[in-house]
Amino acid sequence: MVLEVSQNEFDKEVLNSQRPVLVDFYADWCQPCKMLSPVIESISHKYGEMLKVVKVNVDKSADIANQYSINSIPTLIMFKDKKAVKTFVGFKPQPILEKEISEFFS
Amino acid sequence: MNEIYDVVIIGCGPAGLSASINAKIRNKKLLLLGVELCSPKLHKTPIIYNYPGLPNIKGEDLRQSLIRHVESMGIEITKKKADGVYSLGEEFNILCGNETIRSKTCIIATGISYGNDIDGEKEFLGNGVGYCATCDAPLYKGKNVAIIGYTSEGEEEAEFLSEVCSKVYYIPMYKFSSKLKGNIEIINEIPLKIIGNKHASGILFNNSTLNVDGVFLIKETAPMEQLVPGLELYEKHIKVNRNMETNIPGLYAAGDCAGKPYQLAKAVGEGQIAALSAVSYIDKMKH
Repeated sequence: MVLEVSQNEFDKEVLNSQRPVLVDFYADWCQPCKMLSPVIESISHKYGEMLKVVKVNVDKSADIANQYSINSIPTLIMFKDKKAVKTFVGFKPQPILEKEISEFFS
Repeated sequence: MNEIYDVVIIGCGPAGLSASINAKIRNKKLLLLGVELCSPKLHKTPIIYNYPGLPNIKGEDLRQSLIRHVESMGIEITKKKADGVYSLGEEFNILCGNETIRSKTCIIATGISYGNDIDGEKEFLGNGVGYCATCDAPLYKGKNVAIIGYTSEGEEEAEFLSEVCSKVYYIPMYKFSSKLKGNIEIINEIPLKIIGNKHASGILFNNSTLNVDGVFLIKETAPMEQLVPGLELYEKHIKVNRNMETNIPGLYAAGDCAGKPYQLAKAVGEGQIAALSAVSYIDKMKH
């Protein structure tokens, strides 16, 4: 299971991570988020050693969501060296997503 | 788990109907999704001059004949609007409202809409601009939003948003005469541009500007790249090859949405190719 990160853990788990981190901003009421969930799980499995994958519930962690201007979900943000380096809005099929994120960890 | 279809066809115009006939002949478990009339374009065409074998047939006569044809084969047209087609590798999940339909392959035959985008629409997509108000509503709790409605469906979305947002502006782009419930202000002006910096912050009209936190555009069919995330386009059409294959394995496109010329005979032929390609994809999956 992909780790869910709360507001308090965000600095430790995401910003201070040694590995690049892919953060999945989602909500329980969002259907496309449910579609993306298995894709995220699979990417986490496949690239676990090089890439950390976590999810943030935008209802429970509204401050983080606001800070990163999440206004459509699912949104994925790639973090590297404490910075948001790339944002993807909406669902993406796994092969397409893999291609777009691979430059950040390989 | 829901049952899984071999082929789900989205759109019941000439391309979609032709695809359904061919998938049925090949004995595939299929679902045909469409909206009222199936092909408003055929419905409106007085006479068709260039369809081989049926000289000077009326558009409406051919439309009815096509629908009778599929119905006589036991194909039902399911009146549902697809909101999203998600490729999950081995299968597709197609969202229709709250329902999820599973399929091994999918054929897009939704035709083409002629409406142009508003300036700024694509630029702010996902940053304060969206196509499904009910999907993103909770993110706009307590904020001000505008809905640009191209069909009366926008009215429901506006009423829904008014329960969540502090203020809702409704901008009808069609002949509007109904009354809306809730705290909704109607604006009878043509929006010229969606403005903002990184994030949409308002709408520009001829003589005024409206400041809002979000703008939703409710259209008859969602833009292709919204309907199928990850789909590759070529100019305004879905990019396909000779086999009607798109960049997503198992996903095909046929008819006007797959490119010009916007002609009946081409749509019918492409629908057939798409169905046969889907059939051979399914056969290969088995081995």
